[in-house]
Amino acid sequence: MSSSLTTAVLSELRRIVGDRGLITAANQLQTYECDGLTAFRVPPAAVLLPESTSQVQSILRLCHRERIPFVARGAGTGLSGGALPAEGSIVIALSRMNRILNIDIPNQQITVQPGVINANVTAAVAAQGYFYAPDPSSQTVCSIGGNVAENAGGAHCLKYGFTVTHVLEMTVVLPDGDVVTLGSKTPDAPGYDLAGVFIGSEGTLGVATEMTLRIMRKPETVQVILAAFDTISAAAQSVSDVIASGQLPAAMEIMDRLSIEAAEISVHPNYPACEALLLIELDGPQAEVDLQMAAVIDICKKNGAWETRLAVDEQARFLVWKGRKAAFAAAGRLSPNYIVQDGVIPRTSLPAVLEKLNAMAAAENLRVTNVFHAGDGNLHPIVLYNRDNPGEEERAIDLSLRILDVCVEAGGSITGEHGVGREKQCSMSYMFSDPDIETMQRVRHAFDPLDLANPEKLFPTPRICGERSRGAYAPHPLEASGIAEVF
Amino acid sequence: MERLAAIADEEFVVAGSNGAVTVSPANTQQVSAILALASEHRLSVAPIGGGTKQTWGGITSPHIYLSLARLNRVIEHPWQDLTCTVQAGCTWFALQQNLSQHGQFAALDALFSDRATVGGILSSNDSGALRQRYGSLRDLVIGMTLVLSDGTIARTGGKVVKNVAGYDLSKLVTGSLGTLVVITEANFRLYPLPQYERSFTLAAPQAAQLAPLLADIRASHLLTQSLQLRRSASGAHLDVCINAHPEAHQEAILAQMAKQHGLVPEECSPSIWRERETIFSADATVLRISTLPTRVCTLADQLQATQSDAQAISVSQAIGIHDVALCGSADAVASTIAQLRADAQNTVAVLQPAPGVDMPPHVIHPSALSLMQSVKRNFDPHGILNPGKFFAGA
Ligand SMILES: Cc1cc2nc3c(=O)[nH]c(=O)nc-3n(C[C@H](O)[C@H](O)[C@H](O)COP(=O)(O)OP(=O)(O)OC[C@H]3O[C@@H](n4cnc5c(N)ncnc54)[C@H](O)[C@@H]3O)c2cc1C
Repeated sequence: MSSSLTTAVLSELRRIVGDRGLITAANQLQTYECDGLTAFRVPPAAVLLPESTSQVQSILRLCHRERIPFVARGAGTGLSGGALPAEGSIVIALSRMNRILNIDIPNQQITVQPGVINANVTAAVAAQGYFYAPDPSSQTVCSIGGNVAENAGGAHCLKYGFTVTHVLEMTVVLPDGDVVTLGSKTPDAPGYDLAGVFIGSEGTLGVATEMTLRIMRKPETVQVILAAFDTISAAAQSVSDVIASGQLPAAMEIMDRLSIEAAEISVHPNYPACEALLLIELDGPQAEVDLQMAAVIDICKKNGAWETRLAVDEQARFLVWKGRKAAFAAAGRLSPNYIVQDGVIPRTSLPAVLEKLNAMAAAENLRVTNVFHAGDGNLHPIVLYNRDNPGEEERAIDLSLRILDVCVEAGGSITGEHGVGREKQCSMSYMFSDPDIETMQRVRHAFDPLDLANPEKLFPTPRICGERSRGAYAPHPLEASGIAEVF
Repeated sequence: MERLAAIADEEFVVAGSNGAVTVSPANTQQVSAILALASEHRLSVAPIGGGTKQTWGGITSPHIYLSLARLNRVIEHPWQDLTCTVQAGCTWFALQQNLSQHGQFAALDALFSDRATVGGILSSNDSGALRQRYGSLRDLVIGMTLVLSDGTIARTGGKVVKNVAGYDLSKLVTGSLGTLVVITEANFRLYPLPQYERSFTLAAPQAAQLAPLLADIRASHLLTQSLQLRRSASGAHLDVCINAHPEAHQEAILAQMAKQHGLVPEECSPSIWRERETIFSADATVLRISTLPTRVCTLADQLQATQSDAQAISVSQAIGIHDVALCGSADAVASTIAQLRADAQNTVAVLQPAPGVDMPPHVIHPSALSLMQSVKRNFDPHGILNPGKFFAGA
C-alpha cells in the first residue's frame, strides 16, 4: 500500500523524527493496524516514533497545518479499538518515550514519560517501599500513556481508585501543537480541572507526553482468601455482605467455572474446581487484617463456601492472582476467538443480570464466561466464538453489545475500564441522550476544533453507527420517561 | 420578572434592593427554562446554594440569583451499592444525616456543612481533613445532572462507582465556581462511617519542630484518617486522627514515633477538625495556598514571619492545602499575598478578601488559561454564568 501522505509531508515528518522514527513500509505498518480488539483493522498512512515532547509538538503542528488526523498509541493493548488508526491517519507511537524522569519519595510522586510500562513504575519505587496503585491485568505490558487515556482500572481500584485518582500533573500537546500543563504537583491546580477531563478521553483531546503520578506506601500486611461456591449468586451475596459489614477490601473478584477451567489449563494456579470462585484481598496493619479476614471467612462460610484458602506469603498470593490476571488470555484455551466485554452494573443486581446473560447466550448458542471485579460491579463477560463458522463473529459481536444494553438497563455503564473506542461508540447513544453527548462535544471542540485527535472514536457518528444493524439510534430509553428519573 | 414568575411561581421570584432578582426554581426543568430565558436576554446569572462561599473566585453582581434552595431532596440511597443521588440544594449536613441511617457517609468534611449545599460544595471544590484518607471531592462524585447556559439539560457519568463511558464532565464541573453550568443533581460514591476514630494533638512552639514527625507519619504504615497542622502566633499543633481497630494499637505506634522526636500526643476532642471554619468566619482575608507536602511546615512558619505587619492563622492539611486567615491593614495583607505569590512553590487563591484588599483571586498559567477560556466559551457563549469569576471579563 502506498501512503496517502505527500512526499513533501513525509520528508518533513522524517526531518522531525529522523529515519529511525518514521515507518512507512507496508509490512511494518501492519503491526499498527489494530490494538487488542483485533476484529477491527485499518492500516495507518505512517507511524512516527517521537522521542521528546518537542518532536510530538512538531508532528502535531504539521498535522494541524495539513489537516492530517493522528492517533496516539501506547502499547496497543487496548480492548476497545482506541488505538485503531483512522482512515488516512498517522499513528504516533510513544514506545520510545519510556524514561522515568524523576522520583520524589518524600512527596510520594514520580514523573514519567508516557511509554513507560505500568509495572515499571512500581518497580522503580518498590525498593523504597512504595507502589503505583492502578493495576490493570495487562500491567506488565500496557503503557502509562494508554492508562491515562483510558483511565485504566484494575483489581485493586476498589480500594485505591482509578488512574485519574493517581495522576497529579501532565504535559499535553494539544491538537494545534500548543504544549500545556494540566493539573499540578501541588493539590488543586487553579482554574478548571482539565486534567480530570483529559484522563479517560481516549486520545481525543491531545497527546500526553509527560505525567507525574502519585505513589503510595506499600501496605504492612496483605492477605488473600480464595473461597469456592456452588453458585455465582452465593459468591455475589458474600460480596454484598462484606460491603454491608462496613469493610473495604483492596480487591474482590469472582470467576465462573469456565474461566476457572481455562486459568487452570493455562497457568495452573491450582484453584478448587467449583462453580464460582471468590477472591478477596485485604491489606493494612497486621492486627486489623487478621480480624477482618476472620470476619470475611465467616461471611463466606455463611453463604455456603465449602472451601476457603488463605494466602498470606507473597508466593502464595502471586499464584492466586496469576490465575485471575491471566483470565482473558486463558480464554484462548477455550475457543479460537473471543470478545472481552466490560459492562458495569450496580453490585446488587448481579444475580439478576447474570441470569439474563446466560439466557441470552443460550439463545444464540454461544458460550459466555465471566470474570468480574465484583466489588465495584464491573463485569467482564467473555463471548467465545469461532471466526471460521460463517456468521458466528457477527453474532458474537452482536451478543456482546446486547450485554451492554442489559447493563445500562440495570442502571449501569457500557464500560468500566476498557473505554468506548471504536467498539462501543454506537452503544454510547444507548447510555446517553443526544444533549449529554453534545455537551461532551463542547469539551472536545475546545481542545480540538478540527477533529484531528483520534477522530471517529468514542462519539457515535452517523457514518459508523448508521452501518450497524442493531439500531443504535433507537430512542434513549430514558428520554421518554423524562429527566426526573436520571439513570 | 413576569417571565421568571411564569417559570417558577410568583412567590419564588423576589426582587432585591440592589436590582437583582432571586428566583428559586422547583426542579431541573425550571432551572433550564430560567437559563434559556437569561441567555436569550443576556442576563447574568449567579447560581446560589447556601451562600457560604459567594466571594470565592471573585465577587459578581448578577441580574439574577438562581437559588437551588428548593432542590433539597436526597433522591435515593441504594445503600447496598454504596451510592446516592441528591439534589444540589440539599445541605451537606442534611445529606449526611440521611446517609447515616445506614451507617454510611459522603467522605468529605465540608465547611459550614449546616448551610453549605451539595451544589455549592461541588462548585467550589471544598475539601477538608478527610481528604488525607478518602481523596478529593472529584474522586467521590460519580455522576451529575447539569444545566447549560442555553438551557440544555445533560447528564454525565452514572450511578455506578466504576464507569469510563465518555468524558467525565463531573471532574470539569467540580471547582468551576458556577461558571460553566448549573448543577442540579449529583451522584456520590459513599463509604461506611468510620468506627474507631480517635483524635490526638501534638504541640510545639514552631511547625519546624513537628516537621520530622509529620514526615515520619507520612512515610509510615500508620492508619491516619486526617493529618492537620494548625499554626498561629501562639504556636503550632499537629493533629492526627487515627481510624483503625483498637487491636491494631495505632495510638501506641503514634506515641512511639512521637517519642523519638521528644513529643507527646494528647488525645483531644474531634472538634479540632472544625478549626478550619474559624479561619473563614473571622473578619479576615482568607487564602487557600497549595504547596508540596514537604513544604507544609515551612510555609506555616513563614506565614508567621512575613515582612509586613499582617497576622496569620493557618490550618494546613498534610497533603499540601493551607487555609490561611490574614488580618491587618489592607496594604499589609496585599503585600503578604504578593510575597507569597512571588514564590513559585506556592499557588495562592484569595477566597475571601477583606474590604480594601484588591488582589486577583486566582493566578492561572497563561497556556492553560486560554484553553480554559475556550472551554468556557463553548459552554457559555454569552458569558451569562457568573461573569468575572476566574477570568476577568470572560
Ligand atoms: C489481557 C489484557 C488485560 C487487560 N486488563 C485490563 C484491566 O484490568 N483494566 C483496564 O483498565 N484495562 C485492561 N486492559 C486494557 C488495556 O490494557 C488498557 O486499556 C491500557 O490502559 C491500554 O494501554 P496501552 O498502552 O496498551 O494503550 P493503547 O492500546 O496503545 O491505546 C489506548 C488508547 O490510549 C490512547 N493513547 C495512548 N497513549 C496516549 C498518549 N500518550 N496520549 C494520549 N492518548 C494516548 C490511544 O489513542 C488509545 O485511544 C487489558 C488488556 C488486555 C489485553
